Amino acid sequence: MSERVRTVRYPKLEHFSEPNVITTTADFIFSWARSHSVFPFTYGLACCAIEMLSSGFARYDISRYGMEVFRPTPRQCDLMIVAGTVNEKMAPVLKRLYDQMSEPKWVVSMGACATSGGPFYDGYNVVNGVDKVVPVDVYIPGCPPRPEALFQGLLELQGKIQEFKFVPEKPAAPATAAPAGEA
Amino acid sequence: MSMDAISELLVERFAADLTDVRIQEPDTVVARVAREKLKALAARLKADPDAGYETLNWIAGVDRETGFESVYHVYSWKTNTYLELHVALPREAPEVDTVTGVWPAADWHERESWDMVGIVYAGHPDLRRILLKDDFVGHPLRKDYVDLAENHPHV
Repeated sequence: MSERVRTVRYPKLEHFSEPNVITTTADFIFSWARSHSVFPFTYGLACCAIEMLSSGFARYDISRYGMEVFRPTPRQCDLMIVAGTVNEKMAPVLKRLYDQMSEPKWVVSMGACATSGGPFYDGYNVVNGVDKVVPVDVYIPGCPPRPEALFQGLLELQGKIQEFKFVPEKPAAPATAAPAGEA
Repeated sequence: MSMDAISELLVERFAADLTDVRIQEPDTVVARVAREKLKALAARLKADPDAGYETLNWIAGVDRETGFESVYHVYSWKTNTYLELHVALPREAPEVDTVTGVWPAADWHERESWDMVGIVYAGHPDLRRILLKDDFVGHPLRKDYVDLAENHPHV
């Protein structure tokens, strides 16, 4: 097990030099905005979907993380929470829906079934994990995972989204002396 | 109507078709039917004013290893009781007439039984797989089904 824990970064008070003015890097502000505006795709396949729906309501309240707007069409989504068993008949459909999602996109494998087939491992019509079909960013264990576990996975995903670099690294500038007198 | 009365009524009116009639408490009569008699019997059971087996609840496909069974669970609103019709089928040619003409609900149940156990329902309007993908090979709920690599394209 990796000891590494991703943390989600937020703007701090010291970033505000005066009211309504924030001083930070472009990478930070873009990745902060992107990680808090995730549109999950309503992709419940089995009982994990019940926990996913329960996460959406007031008691657990997924909107705390800025990702409460579940969309029923892949074209408006960038996160697919695969909540349930993927079978051989559904797998091509899942792949097609994933392909229709807008870039950049992420996949969360929720629960034992989506991660490995779970209790249905090696079944006659079961895909042993959704990672056989699409690339997965975060795996959440549990059968089914409680909403708290889903949220930990989503926080992990937010940390991962924030690692994305928006500003390409500049090639090293040629060493030239700055003209005197210019600030 | 008591279970004994229903059972007697069935024996009396359908003696030529039903065999092994017995009561399964609290509310079910179980009987065997020869497969060539099933279709005509189903129509008569539905039309009978006293028995009134109007509703087909579901059809089960059973693998008995020596052969197959198609089991019809029928319900009567008139007497609030169930009838379980067992039709034995030979293993090498498990085929029975469809009852979709009598009970339209049989449509998808017969498709499922074909899909999972491989029982052929002759005369079915659209006998194709319903749960598994169209190119699935074999019938997975048969006792002798062996998991095939071609049924697992995603490995």
